[in-house]
Amino acid sequence: MGGMRSRFFPPVFKGRLHDARTATSIGRLLGVAFVVCFVTGLISHVMQHPPAWAADGLPSRPVWGYRLTQGLHVASGIAAIPLLLAKLWAVYPRLFVWPPVRSVRHALERLSVAVLVAAAVFEVATGLLNTTQWYPWPFSFVPVHYAVAWLVAGSLVLHIAVKAPEIRAHWSRRSPGTLALPEEDGPDRRSLLAAVVAAAGAVTVTTVGQSLTPLKDLTLLAPRHPDHGPQGLPVNRTAAAAGVGRISAEHYRLTVAGPRPFTLTLDELRGLPQHEAELPIACVEGWSKSAHWTGVRVMDLLALAGAPPHARVRVVSLQTRGGYGVSEMGHEYARDPLTLLALHLNGRELAPDHGYPARLIAPNRPGVLQTKWVGRLEVLS
Amino acid sequence: MRVGVMRLLTAVAGLALMGVGVSLLLDVRDLSGALVWLGGAVVLHDALIAPLVLLIGWVLVRGGVRGPVRRALLVAGALTAVALPVMLRPGKPANSSVLPLDYPRNWLLTLLAVAVVTALLPAARATRRSRRRPPK
Repeated sequence: MGGMRSRFFPPVFKGRLHDARTATSIGRLLGVAFVVCFVTGLISHVMQHPPAWAADGLPSRPVWGYRLTQGLHVASGIAAIPLLLAKLWAVYPRLFVWPPVRSVRHALERLSVAVLVAAAVFEVATGLLNTTQWYPWPFSFVPVHYAVAWLVAGSLVLHIAVKAPEIRAHWSRRSPGTLALPEEDGPDRRSLLAAVVAAAGAVTVTTVGQSLTPLKDLTLLAPRHPDHGPQGLPVNRTAAAAGVGRISAEHYRLTVAGPRPFTLTLDELRGLPQHEAELPIACVEGWSKSAHWTGVRVMDLLALAGAPPHARVRVVSLQTRGGYGVSEMGHEYARDPLTLLALHLNGRELAPDHGYPARLIAPNRPGVLQTKWVGRLEVLS
Repeated sequence: MRVGVMRLLTAVAGLALMGVGVSLLLDVRDLSGALVWLGGAVVLHDALIAPLVLLIGWVLVRGGVRGPVRRALLVAGALTAVALPVMLRPGKPANSSVLPLDYPRNWLLTLLAVAVVTALLPAARATRRSRRRPPK
């Protein structure tokens, strides 16, 4: 094995700060970002693809719940990009340790680090590309991004267990391991850490306005801007893309299927008591914006149909193309007085791209489940 | 060396979470594609991004530059990394509210802001220091 050594390999790193204190300091920040990203990602996964045990128990409050968690998911993922690169820079020389494998334990440790690096880079890269709706890979994004998230979480926990003594020895400025490092590196290290934090802050400030609307004027690099879209609200699927075009008011019918089924024309729907709600559209891709909606309470329609109080509801769109044409909601959503079959957005009739003539809008619900162009409500027992 | 119980339990918990990830991955339809991308992520970083960053760092140290210039390059590099997908995404966006901004212009604006802040920070610090000095 020694024969492979040469003047150039393994490389010698003369740069300072490739030390455990730098790795620990950056690692702590990255760890926080990853924990936030993982937990909010799990929340989003359960909300969008509820497993059977959770389908009827999801809460419709707080109103801003999904907006907050999914905004945090994308923001923490973006902030993790400079943190991850800096962390990998700090530990890069360890890639070339010689001999490459000392023992079975050492081999397993290196393997777990390889999994962590691969999974972490994969997650932030695919997540960032997904926010721009760019899918250059052959696999389906959601299941793979979800599976690899568990790999990141697991290999990170394992990594912390393996490195626990080193982390403890370098936790603070006065920890024994830190004090054993060259004292003159201290100011340089603090300057580097300040720069890494500044980088994380810069990418956050220039993107987070896509969901944190008070900062929308600083939104320079986000794939969405709260002011761009029909009626000042971004959309994901247009009426044309959904294959519905302009639905004519005369031909529109809403069918409510339940114990006492009925059908309403658009005028009859407009004649029912109208209610107002201030609710956000919050997309899985990280953008969100609050809007003022007016329409008929879903609970009123359910009462007319004679639905039992704990009924679940299926909402069926008139769309002919694309996924998510059907969504379901548990009784907490169906009975929430803020859950509307909305006819108006910010005081005007819905634009075709926002689901004219009627769309679902419910609190604390992923945007993709806020079904547009609703033609049918089904009471599920 | 005696490995603590907490440490051992943490390691086992980590392995269990990884097991969840592996079992979920095995259900994925195009598994080989996902594995290529996972491996590609490591190769891209270890063989390209990291050496490039180290090279830039080496040139900087040779030039005797640290501190503010390093900070400026780090921030500019992070902004560039985040700007690349919105600038380079091929094809027409799904609708006019997707990627609605002039991203190359915005990216240059952020770099300009970094340069301006970097240039002004020492001056601002000097002003503060001179203010703090007692009057003659």
